Amino acid sequence: MKKVLVLILALIMALSMVTVATAEQPTYHFEIVSKGFQSTYWQAVLKGAEAEIEVLNGEAGYEMITMNFVGPDSESDIAQQVQQFQNALNANPAAIGFAAVDQQAFMELLQQAMDAGIPIIGFDSGVPGAPEGAVYANASTDNYYAGGVAAEGMWAKIKDRIAAAEGAVRIGEVNQDATGESVTQRGLGFIDKIIELAGAEGWGVAVTGNEFYVNGNKGGAVAEADAKIIIEARVPSQTTVELCANEAAVLLNAADTIAVFGSNQTAAEGVVAADGNLYVCGTGDSDIIAVGFDSGATLKAAIRDGVMYGAVTQAPVGIGRVTIDLLLAVSNGETVADTDTGCAFYTAENIDNEEIAQNLYD
Amino acid sequence: MEAKLAGRRSASSFVRSDVFQRLVILAAVVLVYLVFFAASPSFRKYTTVVQICSNMYYLLLMAIGVTFPLITGGNDLSMGTGLICYSLVGSFLIRINGWSIWPAMLVTVLMGVAIGTVNGLIVAKLELPPFIVTLSAMMFCRGMGSVLTNNFSGTWPDGAETGAWFRSIFKIVLRTESGRTPVPLGIVWMVLLVIIMEFVLKHTRVGRYAIAIGSNKEALKLSGVSVVRWHVLAYIISGFFTGLAAIAYAATFSNITPGQGAGYELNAIGSAIIGGTAMTGGSGSIVGTFLGVLLISVLQAGLPFIGLNADWQLLITGCILLGAVTVDMMRHSKRA
Repeated sequence: MKKVLVLILALIMALSMVTVATAEQPTYHFEIVSKGFQSTYWQAVLKGAEAEIEVLNGEAGYEMITMNFVGPDSESDIAQQVQQFQNALNANPAAIGFAAVDQQAFMELLQQAMDAGIPIIGFDSGVPGAPEGAVYANASTDNYYAGGVAAEGMWAKIKDRIAAAEGAVRIGEVNQDATGESVTQRGLGFIDKIIELAGAEGWGVAVTGNEFYVNGNKGGAVAEADAKIIIEARVPSQTTVELCANEAAVLLNAADTIAVFGSNQTAAEGVVAADGNLYVCGTGDSDIIAVGFDSGATLKAAIRDGVMYGAVTQAPVGIGRVTIDLLLAVSNGETVADTDTGCAFYTAENIDNEEIAQNLYD
Repeated sequence: MEAKLAGRRSASSFVRSDVFQRLVILAAVVLVYLVFFAASPSFRKYTTVVQICSNMYYLLLMAIGVTFPLITGGNDLSMGTGLICYSLVGSFLIRINGWSIWPAMLVTVLMGVAIGTVNGLIVAKLELPPFIVTLSAMMFCRGMGSVLTNNFSGTWPDGAETGAWFRSIFKIVLRTESGRTPVPLGIVWMVLLVIIMEFVLKHTRVGRYAIAIGSNKEALKLSGVSVVRWHVLAYIISGFFTGLAAIAYAATFSNITPGQGAGYELNAIGSAIIGGTAMTGGSGSIVGTFLGVLLISVLQAGLPFIGLNADWQLLITGCILLGAVTVDMMRHSKRA
C-alpha cells in the first residue's frame, strides 16, 4: 500500500514538474504588417518567415513562435495598412515586423507602440522617418545601392551604343510611385549611378519627367540641350500594371530611347506588357535594353526569351528569415542591428546559377 | 411658314434622338484622337492603335454586360473584383490543378454566370436594392479571390507554354522579314459582339423586357410577363460578360493580383452612361456603350503621350461623365 502511495506521489510530483516546465517555456507572438501580396515578391518574404518559424519551433520542440502576417490590398492603400497596424498593436504581440507603404501616416501609431513597449523591426523598405527609438533594426535590401546595381548592369550593355550615337539618347525609368521608400531609393540610386558612370566618360546627363525624381537626385545633371543622355522618369497615378504599361509605352515609342528600367516587379511587368504590342525590346544592337527589378513568372520568362535584358533580384526569402530572427532577438532583449540582405544583377546567362535561382520566385 | 416650323421640329427631334447622342460621342472620340495625333508623333504609330485595342477588351466586355442591369434601372458593382477573382481561379486551375485551357476558361465564365445569377435572384425575387446587393457581391468576390488562392497572384499560359494560344484570340503576331507586327484580332470579335448584343437588346425579348423593366415594371407585370425571369437574366448577362472580361484581362496582362479590380467596374459603368444608357433605366444601347468605352480608352492611352498622367484621365473622364449625364437628363426631360 505504501509503495502504491509513494508511486502515486512520485507520479504527481513528476506531472507537476512537467506542468511547471511547460509554464516556463517562453512563447512569442509576432504581428507582421507587410505591403501586401500584390507581387510574388511578398509571397517569397512570407515563405521565408514561415520557414524560419518552422525551423525555430522544431528546434524548441514546441510551438514557440506564432505569427500573423497581413498586408493591404494594394500599395496605394495607406488607410487599410494604418488599420492593420492598429490591429497589430491591439493584439499586444512580443514584437511587430513592419514595411510601411507611406512615410508619414504612421508617426502616431509608432509612438503608441513605443509607449506600449512593443519593439518594431522594419523589413523591406522598413519604416523611414520613424520616431527615434521606435524601430530597433531593419532587414532590407539597400535599395539605393540596388538601383545602382541595375544601372551598372544596363550600362555594360549600352555604353558603346551611347558612344556611337550621334545625338542624345534617352533612358526611360518607370517607377510605380514617388512615395514608397524602396521604389524611390531605387529610382534615385539608378539615376545617380548613371550620372556617375556617364560623368566618367565626360557625358552630361539630363533628368526629366516626374518632379520627385528630377529634384531628388544628388545633382550633377545638366540641361537637356547639353546632355548626351536624357533620363526620363515616369510615374502612373496608381500602382497597377495597366497604368505602368501606359507610361512604359510612351518611353518605348520615343525614337531616341535605347534603354528602360522598371524599378519594381509591377513597373517591370508594365514594361513587358507595353512591349507586347511594340516588340522593340530585346538584347540586339538596335533593340531597347529593358532592365527590371525582382522576379516572378512574367519577368523570368521575359528574360529567358530575351525580351528583357536583365533584372536585379533581392533576397526576399532571406528578408523573411532575417526578420523573424531579429524579431525573436529583440523580444529577448538582445541588441539588434540593421541587416543588409543583399541583391544581384541577373540575365539569361546566369538565371539558373544556384546563388541567383534560390532568390527567384514565380 | 408651316414647312419651316416642321423643319425646325424635325431638327429639334433629331437633336433629342439617341442617334444624335451617339454621333456626338463619336465626334468626341475622333476629336480626342486627332488632338493626341497632332500633339505627339509617337502616338501616330500603328502600335498605339494596337495598345488601345488591347487595353480596351476587358473594359468593353464588362461595359456590354453592365448595360443590361443599368437598363433595368439596376447596377452591377461586382464586376471589377469579380473579374480578378474569376481570372485568378482560372489561373490556379491551370497552374495548380493542371487543367487544360478550355475547361479553365469555361469555369472562369461560369463563375461569372453564377455570381450574376445570385445577384439577379436577390435583386429580382427579394427586391433588394441592386446597389447594396452588388456592393456585397463586390466585397464577396474580392475576399473570395484572395481566400481561394491564399493571396497568391496567378498567371495564365504564355510564350511557348501549352494553352498560350488563347492569347491569339485577342492578338495575333505576324512575323515578317522586317520584324513582328501585332494584329488586334480581338477588335473583330468585339465589333461582332457589339452588333449581336445590340440586336439582342433591341430586337429580342431579353432586351425589350429589360428596357420595359427599367421604364415601367408594373405595366410589364400587368401584361402577364414573368418579370422575375427576365430581370434575373439581365444580371446573368452581366456576369457572363464579366467572365469573358476575365479571360481578356488574363490575355493582356500577365500577372493577376488578388485584392485588385475594385474600380474597374466604375470605368465600365461610366462608359455605358457616356454612351447614353440612362442611370434610371429604360433606355440605352450597346453601340453607345462601345463608343463610351472607345472614348475612355483613347483618353487613357493618349494622355501619357502628351505628358499628362492617369490622374488627368480620371479628372477629364469625370467631367465628360457629368456632361453626358446632364445632356441625357435634358434630352429626356424635353422628350417628356
